[in-house]
Amino acid sequence: MVNWWQGDPILKAMDVATVYPEDYGAVCAAFGAAQAYLEGAEADGFPAHMCGYARNCLGYTARMIELGEIPPEAPMGGMPQPSLLLASGALCDARYKWFQALGRYLDAPLWVLELPHPGVKEGLMEGAGEGNIYFIAQQLREFISFLEKLLGRRMDWGRLDETVDSTMEMNRWWHRANELRRARPCPMHSRDFWSSMPASLYMANDPGETAGLYRQMYDEIKSRVDNKIGALKAPERYRLAFLELPPWHSLDFFNQLAERGWNFVIESWAYHPPRPLDLDRVSDPLERLARYSYHWLTGYYPKANQAEEWWGYFAYPYLEYVRDYQCDGVVLHPLLSCRTATNHLMMVRDRLMKKLKVPSLVIEGDIVDLKLFDPARALSQAEAFEETMDHYKKLRKEAGLGW
Amino acid sequence: MNKVKIFTAGIDLGSTMTKVLILDGEGKSRAQVTGATGAEHRRLANKVMAQALGQAGLSLEEIGYIVATGYGRVNVPFADCQVTELTCHARGVSHLFPSARTAIDIGGQDAKGLKIRDGKLVDFVMNDRCAAGTGRFLEVTAETLGLRLEELGELSLKAASKVEIGSTCTIFAQAEMVALLSQGRPLAEILAGLHQAIASRVVKMVTGLKIEADVVFTGGVAQNAAVVQAIKEKLGHDVLVPDEPLFTGALGAALLAREIALKCLANGKTIPDKERRLEEARLYEDY
Repeated sequence: MVNWWQGDPILKAMDVATVYPEDYGAVCAAFGAAQAYLEGAEADGFPAHMCGYARNCLGYTARMIELGEIPPEAPMGGMPQPSLLLASGALCDARYKWFQALGRYLDAPLWVLELPHPGVKEGLMEGAGEGNIYFIAQQLREFISFLEKLLGRRMDWGRLDETVDSTMEMNRWWHRANELRRARPCPMHSRDFWSSMPASLYMANDPGETAGLYRQMYDEIKSRVDNKIGALKAPERYRLAFLELPPWHSLDFFNQLAERGWNFVIESWAYHPPRPLDLDRVSDPLERLARYSYHWLTGYYPKANQAEEWWGYFAYPYLEYVRDYQCDGVVLHPLLSCRTATNHLMMVRDRLMKKLKVPSLVIEGDIVDLKLFDPARALSQAEAFEETMDHYKKLRKEAGLGW
Repeated sequence: MNKVKIFTAGIDLGSTMTKVLILDGEGKSRAQVTGATGAEHRRLANKVMAQALGQAGLSLEEIGYIVATGYGRVNVPFADCQVTELTCHARGVSHLFPSARTAIDIGGQDAKGLKIRDGKLVDFVMNDRCAAGTGRFLEVTAETLGLRLEELGELSLKAASKVEIGSTCTIFAQAEMVALLSQGRPLAEILAGLHQAIASRVVKMVTGLKIEADVVFTGGVAQNAAVVQAIKEKLGHDVLVPDEPLFTGALGAALLAREIALKCLANGKTIPDKERRLEEARLYEDY
C-alpha cells in the first residue's frame, strides 16, 4: 500500500519486492477488468460506496483464492500471493480495515505504519513537529525489527542509507521535471504525469535507476520548453489543473478535451513528490525518511498559516499551484468512493474563486468504478465551462492578477 | 441559398422532447414545434424539423445555419454545429429576460442552475445522474395516480395544506404516495407535497451558485404552476417564467446560429455551408 516513501525504501534495502494494490486498481480500471472484481467484492458483502481500489483488490483476491492461482484474465500478470502486507495510516481511512480484511483472505502478516498529519494549528507548536518525526523514526525502527524476525536476516544499514538517498534523488528529478510545466505552452499533460507517477509514488524496483529515467524525462521536457513545444497537437487554449485521481477507466475523455485545446498542467499535490529538502546533515537514514515523509505532508503548514488559510491546510497548496501554473480553470473530480480525496474539494473551489478568480468544474466519478462516471455528460459540461473560463479570464485581467 | 434572409434554426434534442425553433431574418420566431424524443425518435429529429419547416413555409436550404443542442445533439445530421445545452439555455434566458442573473431549468431527466452575466454563462450546477425531482418524476407520479401530466399542477394548487414527502427518489416517492393514499390523505395535498419536494431539491442545488435576482425558471417542468409557486416560496421572491419555457434551449441554439451567421457575414466570409438532407440520424451502432 502506498506509504509515502516511509516503508518501501526499507523493504527495498532488504530485497523485498513490493506490489501496490492501488496501482493495480488503476491498471484493472484502465484495462476494463475492474467491474468483475468490484462485483466480486460486493458479492462478498463489501458496500458499493467503499473505496474502489479496496473493492477491486478484495474482489481480485477472492477470485485468486477461489481459483488457487492468479486469475488468467488479470491484466499485466496480476498480483501474486504476498508474504507480508504493509499498510499505511496516512491520509486514507479505508486502509486499516481494507488490509485487515485482506490479511484474513491471504493469511499473511500485516504491519501498519503511521504518518501523523495534525490538521490543527497546534501542529505548529514548538516541539510538535520534532515529536512527530521522533515517533515516525521510532516506528520505522520497530518495523525493521519485525522484518528482521520475519525474514531471518539483518538489515544492511549501509544499503538502506544508499536507498534512502536514491529515493530522494529520484523524487528531486521528478519534482524538477514537473516544475518545467509552468511554461507556456505546457510541455507535459496530466496524462503523462499519471503515467509516470507510479515509479515515484509506488516506487519501481530500483530508485537509483528511476532517478536516471526521471532525469532523462527532465531533459526531454526542458528541450520541449526551450523549443516551445506544447503537449497538445492543438493550440493550448486553456490551462487547467485536475484535482484528484482521474477516472482511469475513461482516459479518452482527456483526449477529447485536448482536441479542444485543454491542457492539464498540474494535478493534486498528494501525488506529487515533496519539494526538495536538504537533509545532508542528518546521518540516520530513518530520521531522513521520517523528516522527508513528514515534510511531504505538512510542509505547507507554515505558509498556509502565514497566508491566513490555515483552515484549508489541505486545500492551500492549490492556491500556489493555480497561480504558479497560471490555470484558467480547475476540474474537480470528487471520487464518490473516497472521502479523503473528496472532502476538501469544495473548499478548494471556494478559495480559488475568492482569492484568484479561477472557476472550477465539478465532475463526479470514481477512480475504478465505471458506473459512477458519465463521460458524455462530463464532456457536455466541459464545453459549457469554456465560456465560464473566458469570463473569469477577463475578470482576472481587470483585477490585475496577471493571467 | 438566399443568405440575405439568414433564417436560422435551433434544435434541442432533449431526453423527453425534441424542440425546433426557427428565427426569421430579424431574429423573430417564425416557427416552433415539439415532438417526443423517445427511444425510437432519437434518430428522427428530421421529422420534427420537417414539421417546423412546414410551419415556417421554408425549405431546409433556406435555413442559413442550424445549431443542435441537448443530450442528443450529436444525432442531428443536418445541423451545422453542436453546442451544449447549458450554453444554449443561458443564451435563450438572456434573450427573453436581459435582467436575468440566475436560471433554473428542469427538463425531462435533468435539472440545472445557471449563473448568467451579460448573456454569458459564468457558472452552473447540474443534478447528479439520478432523475429524482425532474420531469420524469412528475410523469411517474401522473401514471401512478391515473392523471394527465397537465392536471398535476392545477390540482395541487387546490390543496388546503400539504403533506411532507420525504424523498424525491422516483421509486421511493411512488411508494410513499401509495401509502399516503391508503391512509386517506387528499390527493391535492399529496401532490402539493410532491411539488414542494421538487422545489426544495432544486433550490438547494442552485443555492450553491449564490442565487441572484432576477431568477428565471425554464424547461418543461416550468409549465407546472404548482412547481413555479413552490419555487417562489422556497426562494422567497418572484421568478420569471417565459411564455414557452420548453423552447428556451432551442431559442438559445437558434440565436447562437444567428450570431455565427452574422459574424461570418460581418467578417466578409460566407456562412459555412454544407449539403443538407433531412435524413434520419445514424447512431453509433449503425456504423
